[in-house]
Amino acid sequence: MHAVIPYVVAALLFALGVYGVLRRRNAILVLMAVELMLNAVNLILVAADSTIKAALTDVQPEAWAYAVPEPRAGAIFALFVIVLAAAEVGVGLAIVLQYYRLRRAVVLDEVALHEHDHEQDQNAQVTS
Amino acid sequence: MTVADALMLALGAIAVGSGALVVTSAHLVRSGFYLVVSLGAVAGLYLVLGAELVAWVQILVYVGAVVVLLLFAVMLTRAPIGPSKDLDRPALPAALIGGGVGLGLTVLLVDAFRWTEYELPPPGTGARVGEQIFGAWVLPFEVLSILLLAALVGAIVLSRPDIGARPDPNAGAVPVTPGPVGESPEVVARLERIAARQAAAQTRLRAQRAAERAAEEGEEGELVDENSPRREPTREDLLKDQAHDVVFRAHEARPKLGETDKSEMFVEGEVVGEEVEVVEQRAIEGARPAAPRRPALPTNAGNEHPRAGEGRELPSGQDPKREGEWT
Repeated sequence: MHAVIPYVVAALLFALGVYGVLRRRNAILVLMAVELMLNAVNLILVAADSTIKAALTDVQPEAWAYAVPEPRAGAIFALFVIVLAAAEVGVGLAIVLQYYRLRRAVVLDEVALHEHDHEQDQNAQVTS
Repeated sequence: MTVADALMLALGAIAVGSGALVVTSAHLVRSGFYLVVSLGAVAGLYLVLGAELVAWVQILVYVGAVVVLLLFAVMLTRAPIGPSKDLDRPALPAALIGGGVGLGLTVLLVDAFRWTEYELPPPGTGARVGEQIFGAWVLPFEVLSILLLAALVGAIVLSRPDIGARPDPNAGAVPVTPGPVGESPEVVARLERIAARQAAAQTRLRAQRAAERAAEEGEEGELVDENSPRREPTREDLLKDQAHDVVFRAHEARPKLGETDKSEMFVEGEVVGEEVEVVEQRAIEGARPAAPRRPALPTNAGNEHPRAGEGRELPSGQDPKREGEWT
């Protein structure tokens, strides 16, 4: 197995994610691009898990470095990152949908960051 | 070049190609489905690399939950079916930065790993992953579960407008928003209090006027006695005269025996319609000076006494307190 292949794939996926985050105006598409970036990081973690363990065959495992005799933490970290991505998508979509409910728009360029009339908008929306 | 290499190349090509379509497609829904393809290819890469559990969790969580959530958001924000025009910013800066990041990372990783051959590890089983999670990584696991719970609660609070909306500190007093079904109990109690107060004031005024009239009647009997009945019915008399006019004009314009013409029919219909209208108007206007509405209010107030009187003082005594509140 040549370890370069998954690493390069991960690098390209991350670059595509960066491109998508910078290019897209729709908030949901930006979230999709963020998912691409998180997947690239996961791929790097899993690939490092399998390759670095193979590279470390002769190294004496140390107690502070490896809490378990067989170091395979990359997959665990990938699982953690997947859970983080699920949480991020949940909160992000809640924010996007709330913003859409208030302003009828999901375009990130037009989000006014310096207005403080969210309560009035909410009240108007409740009464209407 | 082994089988694993060929598989990884193919899956990587699929992942990168559909990822490129995710970030360049003009259809919102299509880019969601390309994301499914890309994530599935990455799950295949995990399988080849020996992280079996991660691959299935990827398919379960990403393809099964996250992408479905994203597609739900696309649906809920009323995204148009078909290509959208204003989906993208100008491409050049994003392409520059993204290309720079991709080139830098690729050069770094290629330089680090070269074309080195690595031994493919034995496929990881669920038992080993479970041992590790609940052995060495228990604390991060628990912290992560708490974070997931917090994200869940946060998403619920964010997406429900009726909870968690804090008043703006700069805005001052936030007006009470009436609910969709009815007013809040405070507002209802206040309205009842106002109605009772008005009714009390009206009864007081009426009593005062009756006393004045009685006094005037006592002083100069006939003049006021003539005036006061006449002032009320004058309007009614006027209306009666109008109705009389209308009715008799209609009677004069009625079709005679010999001449039942279309024009005559038309005139008749018009006149009758007018008459009905006037009668209705009289019914509306005549009800106002007539008796039943004025006395209705005090009885209303009397009805509302026991209901509204639970919480606060109410117009039972009416004289001292009422004066203070009314003026």
